[in-house]
Amino acid sequence: MGKYLLRRILQMIPVVLGTTLLVYALVFALPGDPVKAMFGDKPINEAVAAQIRAEYNLDKPFFVQYLIFLKNAFTLNFGQTFAGQPVISEIGRAFPVTIKLALMAFVFEAIFGCVFGVISGLKKGKWYDSVILIVSLLLISVPTFVTGFLGQYFLGVKWRILPVTAGADPGFLDLLMPAMVLGSVSMAYIIRLARSEVSSNVALDYVRTARAKGMTNGAVTFRHILRNSMIPVVTYLGQDLGALMGGAMITERIFNIHGIGNLTYQSILKGEANMVVSIVTLLTLVFVVCNLLVDMLYAALDPRIRYA
Amino acid sequence: MTDNTETIEDKLDQLQRSQGPLLEVKDLQVDFVTDEGKHVHAVRDSSFSVYPGQWVAIVGESGSGKSTSAMACLGLLPGTGQVVGGSIKLDGTEISHYTQKEFTAVRGSKMGLVPQDPMSNLNPVWRIGTQVKEALTANNMDVSHEKRSSLAKALADADIEIKSEGDETFLGSKELPALMEAAEQALVKAGVKGDRFEKSMERFRQEWVAGSETRWRVADDLIKAGVKDDDAWYIAKKYVLGSTVEDRIAGLLDEAGLPDAATRARQFPHEFSGGMRQRALIAIGLACRPELLIADEPTSALDVTVQKRILDHLQDLTDSLGTAVLFITHDLGLAAERAQHIVVMYKGQVVESGPSLEVLQQPQHPYTKRLVAAAPSLASQRIVSVEERGEDASAIMEHKVNEDSLEHADTVIEVDHLTREFKLPRTRDMFKAVDDVSFKVKRGTTLAIVGESGSGKSTVANMVLRLLKPTSGKVTYNGEDISQFKGKGLLDFRRHVQPVFQNPYGSLDPMYSIFRSIEEPLRIHKIGDAKSRRARVKELLDMVELPESVMQRYPNELSGGQRQRIAIARAMALNPDVIVCDEAVSALDVLVQDQVLHLLNDLQAKNGLSYLFITHDLAVVRQIADDVVVMQHGKLVEHGTTDEVFLHPKQQYTRDLLDAIPGGKLELGLNLD
Amino acid sequence: MTDITKPLPGQERYVAPLDETPLRAVDNVDETAPATSMWADAWRTLRKNPLFIISGILILFIVFVALFPGVFTKNDPNYCNLDNYLDGSRPGHPFGFDAQGCDIYSRVVYGTRTSLSVGILTTVIVVAVGTLIGAIAGFFGGWVDAVLSRIVDIFMAIPMLLGAIVVLQMFRTVTSLWKVVLVLALFGWVSTARIARGAVLSSKNLEFNTASTALGSTPMRNLFRHILPNSLAPIIVIATTSLGSYIVSEATLSFLGIGLPSTTVSWGGDISNAQSILRTNPMVLFYPSVALAITVLAFIMMGDAVKDALDPKSRTA
Repeated sequence: MGKYLLRRILQMIPVVLGTTLLVYALVFALPGDPVKAMFGDKPINEAVAAQIRAEYNLDKPFFVQYLIFLKNAFTLNFGQTFAGQPVISEIGRAFPVTIKLALMAFVFEAIFGCVFGVISGLKKGKWYDSVILIVSLLLISVPTFVTGFLGQYFLGVKWRILPVTAGADPGFLDLLMPAMVLGSVSMAYIIRLARSEVSSNVALDYVRTARAKGMTNGAVTFRHILRNSMIPVVTYLGQDLGALMGGAMITERIFNIHGIGNLTYQSILKGEANMVVSIVTLLTLVFVVCNLLVDMLYAALDPRIRYA
Repeated sequence: MTDNTETIEDKLDQLQRSQGPLLEVKDLQVDFVTDEGKHVHAVRDSSFSVYPGQWVAIVGESGSGKSTSAMACLGLLPGTGQVVGGSIKLDGTEISHYTQKEFTAVRGSKMGLVPQDPMSNLNPVWRIGTQVKEALTANNMDVSHEKRSSLAKALADADIEIKSEGDETFLGSKELPALMEAAEQALVKAGVKGDRFEKSMERFRQEWVAGSETRWRVADDLIKAGVKDDDAWYIAKKYVLGSTVEDRIAGLLDEAGLPDAATRARQFPHEFSGGMRQRALIAIGLACRPELLIADEPTSALDVTVQKRILDHLQDLTDSLGTAVLFITHDLGLAAERAQHIVVMYKGQVVESGPSLEVLQQPQHPYTKRLVAAAPSLASQRIVSVEERGEDASAIMEHKVNEDSLEHADTVIEVDHLTREFKLPRTRDMFKAVDDVSFKVKRGTTLAIVGESGSGKSTVANMVLRLLKPTSGKVTYNGEDISQFKGKGLLDFRRHVQPVFQNPYGSLDPMYSIFRSIEEPLRIHKIGDAKSRRARVKELLDMVELPESVMQRYPNELSGGQRQRIAIARAMALNPDVIVCDEAVSALDVLVQDQVLHLLNDLQAKNGLSYLFITHDLAVVRQIADDVVVMQHGKLVEHGTTDEVFLHPKQQYTRDLLDAIPGGKLELGLNLD
Repeated sequence: MTDITKPLPGQERYVAPLDETPLRAVDNVDETAPATSMWADAWRTLRKNPLFIISGILILFIVFVALFPGVFTKNDPNYCNLDNYLDGSRPGHPFGFDAQGCDIYSRVVYGTRTSLSVGILTTVIVVAVGTLIGAIAGFFGGWVDAVLSRIVDIFMAIPMLLGAIVVLQMFRTVTSLWKVVLVLALFGWVSTARIARGAVLSSKNLEFNTASTALGSTPMRNLFRHILPNSLAPIIVIATTSLGSYIVSEATLSFLGIGLPSTTVSWGGDISNAQSILRTNPMVLFYPSVALAITVLAFIMMGDAVKDALDPKSRTA
């Protein structure tokens, strides 16, 4: 197990380095002047531009820029925004909100996805299986922003069950609808995954052997069918936790939540290249760490992995 | 036969007659419903019965309905299968209409299952011990006392009198060391000395397994070793106080023949070999001491010697427990060797049934006759019987050893000190898959390489085909080193040395029509035009006795045997000199296997082909080979003509392999017409 | 002593009458069944699948609308007159008008072409690039595979939407549709590459490749004649399903205002514009949303149906 963990961590390093390099290159080294992009449609102030170039070391060769960025990032020094705020404190303000939102969405999709998926898989062909399937297909097809608007319109405006927008420092109820919207697509995928896993596991040989032992249907279902079906579902969930944070942008925009997604979006519009690189780097790290956790969990769930 | 065994068999017979059948299946009908809603009859009007303590075998090829019948008894029919008619009685109670809940109550405790494929029947995420424990807890088994069937009791009572209920208490691992010490002292006190003392202690160490040995057996063992009755019972009562669940699990695994059971119970299935998994499955099947054990091809996935050992063990175990066994198998020889009563099934129906030897010696139904004639184990046995009587066996031989060619013909393939090493994953160690193997294949003859899994036989085949490079040594074809072939020379070699692989499902590209598959070698070697290639494919199909219409078909529409014939046709397309058959008939049903072997023999006679025939089944060798190489752990163990190897094996390993051929000790009828 | 050789009751010798159990030839070919290739087989399964029929009809319809929008509306989607500000439906304008006074119906009709073009073009590029890279990694293995797999990991780690926004921000001035297509492809090829690699790896190890080699075939010939054709099924499945998701991504980017320029008629852009008047006029948002959802649904259902049909497990051996 220890060896396995070490190997996974070593494999992580090139991915983190490669990802940051790629993002850095996309923002600072693509054809097109990033400084120009920062000004958007406004006329360029040459003095400010020069200052920015110096601050971001844009006058130095690309790889030197990148290494300086890496060195600073290592000490969580991501530089400053145009307004003179340290980037890290801006991120520090927005991050907890997004984490809260993502965790709520995660719990929502995990519980409902598994419950509906398992019911569907065990009772394949029944009418509620069809209903669950159709609903999950619809959730996948309808883009998040449409789901969000529909939620806002019906739950918020028409029936007034939940707050329409969240605003600054949102509480649990404020984030409930955004979390459901954010988690809805993943929930649909989990339903489909759990359903196909469960329904194919039902017919496996060792399940039949378990029945032949005289185990009750409930015991066989829990110990053999569900236990084994959950392995790929858990893998998906873990990977999704990282993706939820990156995907929160749309949801945060619709519901006016001051989280990391909104911050990214505003930064892009304002041309805060520094902020964008920092956030994407952080999110990538979160994603990679989540993947590592998934691998650990996977090894714990499936004994075959530990020795592979 | 001694008087003693006679009385036991006699007693068993009386008990069976008085108790009546344990399982009685009458006019059973099982249907499967297809996607289109059509009913397919998987089992029709089948009847058979199993008496307590008896082994009954159902024999049939794949799709004959033998497993389906057995699963119907357990209420475990797969998919859309359902019992639509007839009756299934367990101990006189009708169970065919049982709900799943009612079945749960009898499964495990009254009927156990040992399934077919050890690889897929254990859940990979649970420890072996846990999976045994599930069987115990599901049926609320008392893990500290032995549960014995009335039959076992009745039969064992002749040996020892059981005084009270507590005498069936299991030995616990906690008390074991103290018991050993007390036993040692008791032996000393009883004046047992020297060799006899050592032997007795050795016996105790081996047999007193926690969770398996009971109080009365311990007492019995002590008395037999020379300890006085009262002392023996005193010790047994003092130290045999009941076992924990863990003890019992280890005890069960030990009974199934798993060494070092307590440690093994904490391991996961992927750390077990196939044979070990099968033993664990046997332990699970017998955990709750069912009266009936359904063994569905329990050893067909294992090596022959392992198969024999496991079946021997299972037979001893069920005999001592008085468990009846419904034994499902495709091998008539195996069935006759193990069971008292045989039921032959064909296309969902029972075509013949009766006492094993009678069915085997005087088969009446044409299908049974065909089966008896085709079974390789029986065929080779028949030859031995004839020769033992000093008669000429050539009349009944499908393939006669070609002594003349073996001596005088030139060498086509020569394998010279061939060695192949593989690197073991995640270590620096090398593993010798093939270790210094040499042999020659003479033109027009068949050389068989026999060995169990891991013997390196397929690795040799791949090196002969130049699909794998040897670490050292060389293979020559017509005197030329094949590793030197390049470009046109290599193409020429490929043209003359063709393979037929084991898996008839894998060796044909599922996207290619049969025509394209057979035509492929002609295309690669740029032989003929479209029209002549088409004619050639027709000719080849005719050669393997398949109709022309299969040309437009795809592999998934053909049976395993048909695909294997296609593979042979493809190999024959280029008029090769040598065909390397790597387990080419192993995956096939007996009759189909026989058909393919006939085809190979005919082709050899007609075209003067040479075969390198790789197989794990020594019985098949007799039907095809002139020369035999026996391999074990990468090394060549024995090399001789087929007759020599079969009649006068020199090595113990070869003798073990020969012994493991099922039905080896049966008296066979020779008149099959 | 009883005669123990006498069979027990019910176990006497039994031989079935031959006329009830006729013997058939060993292993004969059923010549009556129609011959089917894998594709013909898949087609037969598909034809019977209602999911396929519904999604097939929808997709045909959507493609037709995209090709010939003029058949469905005579109105110019770019003709907007503020006099028509948020007017309700009237003859010739069944869905009414939006906040700019443009005809919603014609915008929905013309938006089809945009969405479909982005979806199809992205899929084509992704499949070509992903299959190529995945196949190379799977076929050659070793260090080639190690390097390519790490690159795939790197792209996987960047959230698609975030990456796309960063790149699109750089090319704000470019107005071509290709901008969005290329950016989506840049972050989309990895999943196809992964699937292609897996498929090639598994069909590479199948026995028929060894058989072909032994017949004299070269590795390259094996790759193109055996391995790739046998790896197509999972690639087709992921292509069909992701086509839908690219359409969603394009709409999302347009919704964020950094996808297609506002001059291009697109559902995402219209949904974005309708957002501000959601509380008063939800129907303005409703129409393009429904069009978008139906299109995506059609492709995802098609993907499901194709997956069922091409699933090797469902093919009888």
